[in-house]
Amino acid sequence: MKTKRFLLISLLALGAIILSACSRAPISTNWAGLAADAERAYLSNGAFLYAVDVQSGREAWRYPAEANTKRIFYAAPVLTQDGQLLIGSAGTDHPLISLNPETGKENWAENFTGAKGAWMASPLVFNEKIYAPNTDGFLYILDMEGKQAADPIELGGALWSTPSTDGTLLYVTSLDHHFHVIDPAANQINETIDLGGAAPGSPAVGADGVYVGSFASTIEFIQSNGNHEVITTAGNWIWGTPVIDGNTLYYADLDGVVYSLDIDSGRQNWDGVQPDGPVVASLLVVADQLYVATESGSFFALDREGKIAWEKTPGGKIYTSPVLSGDLILVAPYQAEFALVAYDAEGKQAWTFTPEK
Amino acid sequence: MWQTIIIQPMTNLLLWIYDILGHGPHMFGLAIILFTILIKLLTWPLNASQVKGAQAMQELQNDKEWQDIQKKHAKDKEKLAQEQMRIYKDRGINPFASCLPTLVQFPIIIGLYQSITRALSATPFNMLQLARTVYPFQNVENIIPLNSTFLWMDLGRPESIQMFGVAIPTLAVIVALTTWVQSKLTMPASSNPNDQSAQMTKMMSVYMPLMLGWFALNFASGISVYFIISNLLGVAQYAATGRANWSNLFGGGKPSPVKKK
Repeated sequence: MKTKRFLLISLLALGAIILSACSRAPISTNWAGLAADAERAYLSNGAFLYAVDVQSGREAWRYPAEANTKRIFYAAPVLTQDGQLLIGSAGTDHPLISLNPETGKENWAENFTGAKGAWMASPLVFNEKIYAPNTDGFLYILDMEGKQAADPIELGGALWSTPSTDGTLLYVTSLDHHFHVIDPAANQINETIDLGGAAPGSPAVGADGVYVGSFASTIEFIQSNGNHEVITTAGNWIWGTPVIDGNTLYYADLDGVVYSLDIDSGRQNWDGVQPDGPVVASLLVVADQLYVATESGSFFALDREGKIAWEKTPGGKIYTSPVLSGDLILVAPYQAEFALVAYDAEGKQAWTFTPEK
Repeated sequence: MWQTIIIQPMTNLLLWIYDILGHGPHMFGLAIILFTILIKLLTWPLNASQVKGAQAMQELQNDKEWQDIQKKHAKDKEKLAQEQMRIYKDRGINPFASCLPTLVQFPIIIGLYQSITRALSATPFNMLQLARTVYPFQNVENIIPLNSTFLWMDLGRPESIQMFGVAIPTLAVIVALTTWVQSKLTMPASSNPNDQSAQMTKMMSVYMPLMLGWFALNFASGISVYFIISNLLGVAQYAATGRANWSNLFGGGKPSPVKKK
């Protein structure tokens, strides 16, 4: 009987421990967000936002000083023209925070506390206003001091992507399968379009409209008046933001296929370019090279014909979109030895960064 | 292994039910309820054997032969164990039958918790995991993201209702209450003060409501919905078999009649 009692209580305790261990999983599990200027890379890597000197690869500062589950960071930080670094928290509290990018000191942090959900997407700064998409389905509109500047716009589903703008209108994708055209001057939604699948990436703004990829495995071309059409398809979900380079649209899917579409003719420029694994991160075009990061932990540079110029394996899984800082391409692998790796255009590794504990 | 045997089937079953229901607001909550009913139906024979096993053990505690061997071999644990096993065998009693449904509950609870968080995909990484979890026949593009709203709750978060500026954890209270009611109804009253089985059952009727209430307080409210429906179905099952001990609910429960062999 004692054995039975002990067994039962042990099982209850074990169950409690296992459930406790996974209870924080939804909010604490995601890949890092990455942004950079010419001097520093900014890596939002869970408990800390790190600023890394791009010359040396050393940590310049981290925010906050102590880890705190109230503030967790996954969205790519945003540098504003007036010298702020904006980052939203995906922790148990949801403040939008402004830091000094040189020092990491808070400019403001609690000026707006109205968001009900985590910040998974970076805000867009447009016409001296902050347009901040939240997972609660609202697009919040704040002034540059983080105070509410206008009524938030309810878009419905969770917002995981940064809004895009053509200089007049805003374009926002939502996980509830919808794409919205917003007039910021009137603070209203002009058009809403059903994409047929969730859209976690931002729209790519072209000359005549925007291009949006979605889990419907399509690229939709949408004009500001709401006219839209599917211009091409993929074999699997399209996660990252498509990239426009001249007359070419680059995009990739979860099958790991990289596409190059001639926008004018609607024809693919190449066929069957499939580096080595699913592609979640947005592609990056710099000069004559297209950079592709894969879930397999590899980083490729392709030329305009789709041939691999070089390949590196920083390890882990790469979901974070690579960014350019000066002459360096920065890659942030997930669950890897290094949190950040810098390569030059020839693929030579400049430095690696691993946060000190 | 855990992923293939537990998480993947559970997540797909939840998504499939959600899809059939029309994947609108409140439907994921309904999917969890239907899922719970299905699990209860599948584990019905186990629960029935638990009731039977608990009853048999209870009757054994008041059996003269059982009491005699307790006294006779009080100082010889090995002999006592042998005699106990003999009696179990003679009477066709499995002493662990009453534990089995509890053991089965744990992988279901943990798996369901992980399936709910995965299905609701609070982060892009969760969503990517979900994409890898779904079976090819699921038309998952159409149904994700799932609508996590159910009544006043967000099924992906712990529940509470704001009243007069205070967050009241309503579901945690209901979970604790229904767990207590279920354990009381299934607890046979004993006339034997040295009845270890009754003592243990009594102890469980205190600890289980507290523990499940604590789970409900801290974890996604979807798991609380599972607890509540599971408890109510458990009560219904006991009531249907005529074994529910309603007098236990209001104190002063009379001892169950002991069948003489």
